[in-house]
Amino acid sequence: MKLLRRTLLPMALAVLFATVPLAARAQTPDEIIKAGKVVIAIDTTVPPYGTLDTNMQPSGLDVELSQLIGKSLGVPVEFVTVTSPGRIPALLTKRVDMVVSIFSITAERALQVDFTNPYGGQATVLIAPKGKVIKGPKDLVGLKVGATRGAIEDIVLTQIVKDYPGINYLRFDDGPSCAQAMLSGQIEAMGGGDYGDIYLRKSAGGEEFEQKFVLRPNYFGIGIRKGNPALLHWLNTLLFTMKSDGTLNRLSMTYRKAPVIDLPSF
Amino acid sequence: MDYVFQFGPVFAFWPELLRGTALTIALTLVATAIGLPIAAVLAALRSFSSTPVRAAVSAYVELIRNTPFLIQLYFVFFALPGLGLRLTANEAAITAMVVNLVAYAVDILRAGLQAVPRGQIEAARALGLRPLRIIRHVILGQALRIVYPALASQFILQLLGSSLVSAIAAEELTAVANNIMIQTFRNFEVFGVVTVIYLALSLGFRALLDGGYRLAFREPT
Repeated sequence: MKLLRRTLLPMALAVLFATVPLAARAQTPDEIIKAGKVVIAIDTTVPPYGTLDTNMQPSGLDVELSQLIGKSLGVPVEFVTVTSPGRIPALLTKRVDMVVSIFSITAERALQVDFTNPYGGQATVLIAPKGKVIKGPKDLVGLKVGATRGAIEDIVLTQIVKDYPGINYLRFDDGPSCAQAMLSGQIEAMGGGDYGDIYLRKSAGGEEFEQKFVLRPNYFGIGIRKGNPALLHWLNTLLFTMKSDGTLNRLSMTYRKAPVIDLPSF
Repeated sequence: MDYVFQFGPVFAFWPELLRGTALTIALTLVATAIGLPIAAVLAALRSFSSTPVRAAVSAYVELIRNTPFLIQLYFVFFALPGLGLRLTANEAAITAMVVNLVAYAVDILRAGLQAVPRGQIEAARALGLRPLRIIRHVILGQALRIVYPALASQFILQLLGSSLVSAIAAEELTAVANNIMIQTFRNFEVFGVVTVIYLALSLGFRALLDGGYRLAFREPT
């Protein structure tokens, strides 16, 4: 503990103070254009949203969206790589102008940063062969349903199993085991992501798989510092045009191989 | 260390822990009850029958003893449905456990059969006893006494090995532990409690089996 207080803490403070003054970033679209570049935080470890291509250059859905933002502003993009827990600090310490990094919109995060309307998202869904008629949780009664232990689908399905007695619920230790159980017919439905290779394969009965209903949607928004209404409004306007001209759907098809999920705005 | 141990959230799941423990015991007992008679027959075949039968039993024992239990489990649960045999998670767990136990028990029992001095068997034959009577009256009692400790160890290994069947969604003790961990994030406490339960099960069964040995094989005074 002493070591922590004596050496690590001062070091952390030094780093913080060293970065803050040099990085007092622009706040409105006009100021960003005047600064001549837009600094955007991305995560390059989350394919297909952010990853490094064969030339070690950032690539992915979030990266291309960032480049489109830069193009609309008419300035080059400077990428800053962050990790998932580093996204809010990057904004608050003014190291970046915005975060475009599978930033799920939650009320807790919105206390610290502002979110734009969602530009994309990923839903946790119920997956079953096409021939099965499953419209909602009550249709699962009497079926064998599987999920990966501890995943979001497990949390949602555990509640559903409590609410609708009679579902035979099986938890597997990892995703491949659960998918294998689905393919071999050991389970009749499963919780999973709205994309993945399960959709490319065939069930024990030779049918293709499809999404039956959404267990929990996750919406990704662009995060900016609070108190920048002009920038927030401009980004929302940009996303509106990208949604209506099909750009967001094209991005989703290119990187996720699946159409963009329904994008409500707030 | 700043970690504060909180066992309350874990003990709140005691009905599930109890169910998991019960399933662990049930899987082990059922697998042993089915497996041991099969192993006894196979051990006798391996010791006393014709060469092709012996070779077949040997092949089975080598195949199972030299492949991981987890793969055998996956094979029963995920691959057999492709051949039209669809077992529930618990049925598949018991099947895999029987297949595994039999292979180990055959070798243990065979060692017991071979440990009976050949002179005794020859003497029994000279007295005109038929092979089944020789096995029953001359070999079995002595062989069982020799292999009992090894079989008891195998039983305990089977009990602990059953923790692997959570991989195919059988909700035994380890699976229950993982479920509780995900809901409470009290990993230290959950594993602590489950370790104590497994330890108690092992020591309890060990004591029972030792008592059984003393009862069954007491030296005549």
